[in-house]
Amino acid sequence: MAASLADAVAALAERGAEGAPLAGATWIMRAPLRGEAHLAYVGLSGIPALRALSIGETEIGIGACVSHAHLARALAALPEARALAEAAGRSANPAIREVATVGGNLCSAAFAAADLVPALLCLDAAVELAAPGGTARLPLADFLAQRDRLPPGTVLARAIVPRPIAPGATGRSAHIRLPLRAAGDYPAAIVSLAVALDGDGRVATARLAVGSVEPVARRWTALEERLAGRPLDPDRAAGAAADLAGAFRPREGIEASGAYRLRVLPALVRRAVAAVQASS
Amino acid sequence: MPLEIVVNGEARTVAADPMTPLAEVLRDSLSLTGTKLACEEGFCGSCTVLLDDRPAMACLIPVALAAGRRVRTVESLAPADAALSPLQAAMESHDAVQCGMCFPGMLMSLTALFERQPAPSRAEILAALDGNICRCTGYERIVEAALSLGGETAAEISA
Repeated sequence: MAASLADAVAALAERGAEGAPLAGATWIMRAPLRGEAHLAYVGLSGIPALRALSIGETEIGIGACVSHAHLARALAALPEARALAEAAGRSANPAIREVATVGGNLCSAAFAAADLVPALLCLDAAVELAAPGGTARLPLADFLAQRDRLPPGTVLARAIVPRPIAPGATGRSAHIRLPLRAAGDYPAAIVSLAVALDGDGRVATARLAVGSVEPVARRWTALEERLAGRPLDPDRAAGAAADLAGAFRPREGIEASGAYRLRVLPALVRRAVAAVQASS
Repeated sequence: MPLEIVVNGEARTVAADPMTPLAEVLRDSLSLTGTKLACEEGFCGSCTVLLDDRPAMACLIPVALAAGRRVRTVESLAPADAALSPLQAAMESHDAVQCGMCFPGMLMSLTALFERQPAPSRAEILAALDGNICRCTGYERIVEAALSLGGETAAEISA
């Protein structure tokens, strides 16, 4: 168990490829079930800085060891961050949410159905990485592209959500997930949407991310362009999603086929736009 | 390396590999077999315990992460020779227990709920049990029993 972030970085650098950070452990404890051996873990959960969550005027800073439950409670009264609160408050089940962390959710490269990833993507989040050479901030999408080959000694210290969603506008967001059971299950597909409207009620900024469909969540910029400059219209958005869904290469799984994940996407887009509309 | 954990109010020292699941330590080292291990991947809830008063799946907690923390298991609800807790008594009077495998977890999830929310709604009870699967599908009686605990009885649980 590391006592400070600097200690964790040093211990992980020393362990090299044999080492790995450990936060809530809910993913790592199932490594043997996936046929993976345990590594030389460095525990992060005793580091106070990583357990901190701050809601500032210009950004929300979320320590890597903040639990899903803590995040959901902290963001409950913040309409623009509703996508993230919903993602944190509805994923898995209550006992997992008390333990599973933000950092773990972002770092589990093989976990395609992670809820926080699309929610943070739609909120244009960045991550702060601590490494032997110092601390660097990079956009979440860039981190996702390189997270499985970062040099040993790299620790995701915080996720940062900029505020507001767009300058000078009131932003709203929503997180729509489709688990195969009503609750307590992994979602087959996820749509996270953040929108800022202009003075005439037209979409000034729209950011939409899709999770659990492909192996890694990503923004759907082609659909964002179809939403921009018009009033929110759930049915029109669903129609555009149906037109554009061919751009995904969906993953097959025992719980849902790739074709099913694509089939439900327009409905999830419709629900996301309607949810944002209802809260505007 | 020996680890110290406060289990049901008592400081216990355990010697185990740090990655050993807490549920295994509770059952095999401390003989607290009320906590059940079933799916061992955080889906079924039969191993639910309270970790610093919040529900947690003991199958996915490496014992090293429980060091220095307070763990409560189903055995804490009615210590030897004590009467059943109001929650347990409600389950008995509603005839809600079937095979019993899920019950320790159900009781601990509901105990955590009642300690925070003495008079929960049906929706809140259902949400608290999202991670507790009953393979006998006896959910209705479990929920009815939990609902029958009014504010007063609920206050006793947390006392």
